[in-house]
Amino acid sequence: MPVYTVSQVARYIRDSLDGDSLLGDVWVNGEVSNLSRSVSGHCYFTLKDAASQLRCVLFRNGQGSEHLADGVALLAHGRISFYEVRGDLQFYVDLAQPEGVGLLHAELERLKKKLQAEGLFDETRKRPIPRFPNRIAVVTSPVGAVWHDIRSIVERRYPLVELVLVPTPVQGASAAGGIVDAFQVLSEQEAIDTVIVARGGGSLEELWPFNEEAVARAIYGCKFPVISAVGHHTDYTIADLVADLRAPTPSAAAELAVPDRAELASQVLRLHRALLDYTVQDMSEKRHQVEILAHRLQTRAPDTPTRRQRVDDLLREASIRLSATLAVHQERVQSRSLRLEALSPRAVLERGYAVAQKLPSGEVITSPQQVAAGEALQVTVSGGPFKAVGLGQ
Amino acid sequence: MAEEPQRPKGGKLTFEEALTRLDKTVQALEAGGLTLEEATRLYEEGMRLARLCNELLSHAELKVKRLQTSFGEQMRFLEEEHT
Repeated sequence: MPVYTVSQVARYIRDSLDGDSLLGDVWVNGEVSNLSRSVSGHCYFTLKDAASQLRCVLFRNGQGSEHLADGVALLAHGRISFYEVRGDLQFYVDLAQPEGVGLLHAELERLKKKLQAEGLFDETRKRPIPRFPNRIAVVTSPVGAVWHDIRSIVERRYPLVELVLVPTPVQGASAAGGIVDAFQVLSEQEAIDTVIVARGGGSLEELWPFNEEAVARAIYGCKFPVISAVGHHTDYTIADLVADLRAPTPSAAAELAVPDRAELASQVLRLHRALLDYTVQDMSEKRHQVEILAHRLQTRAPDTPTRRQRVDDLLREASIRLSATLAVHQERVQSRSLRLEALSPRAVLERGYAVAQKLPSGEVITSPQQVAAGEALQVTVSGGPFKAVGLGQ
Repeated sequence: MAEEPQRPKGGKLTFEEALTRLDKTVQALEAGGLTLEEATRLYEEGMRLARLCNELLSHAELKVKRLQTSFGEQMRFLEEEHT
């Protein structure tokens, strides 16, 4: 039979307590007694009822120490563990509330604070909802108005989208597990643009599954953006705080998830009008530009009239010069022809000279030796030729 | 018929290219100092470019009108379908 040291037994007791799921997360109510506050800000007290008592500690970082006073009826949350140093079993309180507050409200506040501290509600973590989704998954009950409302609104506004129902109970003991399972199913899906998790209105108790930590973590872990719509308007669940977008009602969630096709159509018309206006104006500006350039071009057509006139002027000048030159030459010709005239044989004959030629050769006689006696001759005088006979020298 | 002005590498001029060239041609003519032959050649080129610009614009306007008509018909069709 083994023998254990005190430490071993103490450690064993502590491990056993810490491994117990009930004792690890428990609400206890009772009356406060033996309250003492340490200088470091921790509170030590005892919770008791008619039959039993429980040693408690609320450390400085716990919530609600201001509610502690001897004799106060307290509702406390925390875990039960074993303080080995002193061999005491202790209730480690992390939240203290006056007992008048309902348990559910207290639990809700506790969870909110815890999850907020973990960053599950961070605004920076909220993902945008796609404007033009192709597939939307709806986590809700297959029976009841919610699924029907969402479907009819989506079909009316934006029939392009495919709705996928992921059925789960949304009320009662199996609801939280069902919702967590639904998100597990979704985590294996691809090609989903938006998730709507929805439930109609109800009391805090009826909506409670949407305040469960497991549901909050399932929504937080969803890889698609989540729109929550739990209850009606004023109901604000933890699921709403974790979701990327909170809709006041399931119908509103459907409207937030899809665009309205009538609005889209009028937007298309508006854009079309703007496009047309722009194009028409652009064209007319361009045409105006071309007209201006064409006009400038016309006024810069090659200046042929001026050139033509210049050609005419030159021609006229040339013809004047030509005439003058011609006159000079004519004059010169005239004078020469006069001189030539003076030298012509006719003029010599007119002065009484004669030309004698042999017949029939026509040889001009310039020497007496050329003429034999009785030879026939032709003598030409101014009046004309006549025949003659040589008589010798 | 005279040859349509083309890019140096061949291929048709875009409207903006034709307009830029028309502008430069007019500027060259306005600057003066050209021989008759050069001026005539530039003027001819300019007139050709102006005509091309007008043709390209008319073509574009026609296209816009056609597209507009077909869009209008489509919208009418959709509206009739929904009513």
